[in-house]
Amino acid sequence: MGEPLLTTQKLSNHFGMVCTARDLDLSFERGVLTSIIGPNGAGKSTLINLLTGHLPVQSGTIRFQGRDITRLPIHKRVRMGICRSFQIVNVFPELTVAQNVMIPVLARTGRSWRPIRSLSRETTVLRETEAMLTKVGLLPERDTPATALSHGDLRLLEVGVALAAAPMLLFLDEPTAGMNPVERVRLLENIRQLAREGRTTFVVVEHDMDVVFSLSERIIVLHRGEVLCDGTPAQVRGDAKVREVYLGDDVSDLFRINEE
Amino acid sequence: MRAQTRNAVAASAVLLALCAVPFLAGKFAIYLTMRIMLLGIFAVGYNLLLGQTGLLSFGHGAFYAAGAYGLGLFGAHVSTHPLLGVAAGVAAAVLVALLIGYLCVRHTEIYFAMLTLACGMMVFSLIWNLREITGGDDGLIGIMRAPVPLFGGIKIPIGTDGQFYFFVLFFFALGVWVVHRIRQSPFGLALAGIRENARRSEFAGVPVRRYRLAVFVLSGAFAGLAGSLEALLESNARPFMAHWTHSAEPVLVSLLGGMSSLAGPLVGGAIYIAMREIIQRFTENWMLWFGIVLLVIILGFRGGVVGTLSALFRKAAAKGEG
Repeated sequence: MGEPLLTTQKLSNHFGMVCTARDLDLSFERGVLTSIIGPNGAGKSTLINLLTGHLPVQSGTIRFQGRDITRLPIHKRVRMGICRSFQIVNVFPELTVAQNVMIPVLARTGRSWRPIRSLSRETTVLRETEAMLTKVGLLPERDTPATALSHGDLRLLEVGVALAAAPMLLFLDEPTAGMNPVERVRLLENIRQLAREGRTTFVVVEHDMDVVFSLSERIIVLHRGEVLCDGTPAQVRGDAKVREVYLGDDVSDLFRINEE
Repeated sequence: MRAQTRNAVAASAVLLALCAVPFLAGKFAIYLTMRIMLLGIFAVGYNLLLGQTGLLSFGHGAFYAAGAYGLGLFGAHVSTHPLLGVAAGVAAAVLVALLIGYLCVRHTEIYFAMLTLACGMMVFSLIWNLREITGGDDGLIGIMRAPVPLFGGIKIPIGTDGQFYFFVLFFFALGVWVVHRIRQSPFGLALAGIRENARRSEFAGVPVRRYRLAVFVLSGAFAGLAGSLEALLESNARPFMAHWTHSAEPVLVSLLGGMSSLAGPLVGGAIYIAMREIIQRFTENWMLWFGIVLLVIILGFRGGVVGTLSALFRKAAAKGEG
């Protein structure tokens, strides 16, 4: 397996008295499709925010491919290969779909500083942009401004912008939230396909247990900022503590899948 | 492609018309056209910051003044070569913009606007108080328009307004062309991305703060170019060039014409200068009447004159096709 892609050591975060991450020691291996689940307020989004640089780290360290990135600004982490998508759609609203995807492609290929050359002559960038739009199924909408997209298409664009940065490690924060079943299947198929291709390692935060158990090779269950359980879907399903925490709506989901 | 051709035709027509002005118009019209071009350079560069990147600065008068004083001091102490003088003015503006920008781009929105205002006023009071260097409230006077030496000993005179007009037109055309290219470029798209969503830009791998500083300095260079040309035109440099009321001019002009197009600030600048001339004939309080006009345009023409007109044209075209 070799060296893990990303590791954390005693990673902690507090908002006032509320602890959203407590001494987290995690490691993410290359190529293992991982899901992070947990009840609301478990610290899932906080963890992503810490790892991607959205939140400053209060204590602990983060290493990416052996390099300490704890204090690195967001854009440098992105250039190293860590990217994310957002739970609430967070794209460039007045720009077209193609322009949305083009910005990370330009930044990655080191062309975003070019001030005089026309964009229409950047053929490699245009080709890559088109390939990415084909991949997420938005090529027909390439010249539509993002504000004019349907909700499902916006979610696809959200993931497309993150993928266009060609990350090694990509965190998806509830990528299928609010999607209709057709769109959801398509997006999940995309993620599976890309994970198989092996260039990108996915870490997905999800609420939908169907998605989580069908997609993941590894599941991390967070609860009050701590790791409650970390293992294969089978291990997590059989874990007594997880069942305890998930008393309520989700417990039926867990059992239903157990029966399948 | 059709829109591109149309724009090229329109740009060539305007350039031709501008070339014809000194042969057809009177002295005063030539002077006013030069003032419009100066404000155009100032505003079109400024709009890279405001319209393209979404940053509102109230301190660009400082860079305008840096351009004017840079040219004036270079002329007094080093050389009266006009091109070198303009280069010195732009270099001075870039230097001041780097200093001020470095402090200001850490912040956005109202904090950015207020910081630039404060820094601009500091430059103003420096110019006002450093009497030995800047001439204090008198400014620098008697700036010369020496002929422009070219290769092979040929010298182009720019002494009269009719001659100097083409000097200004050259830099105006060059400036507008550069801004046009930037707006179409990868750099321009990165700036638009920062305007639309700065946080997402960082997650796209764009070092947002560095881009903000770059465009701040770039727009400062345009202000310095306009300032150094004004110093040559008026043969003086005045402290009020750095005053915040002057910094507000490109903001007003961009609002007037529209921030989202290249032509917006240019048209806005022409309207601004023309209105000031006309209203000043009738009343001393030209700002009062200008304020009323501005109010009408902001309330009635969202997106400025150019924005509203082009939306109307598009609607009419769609109707014609349908």
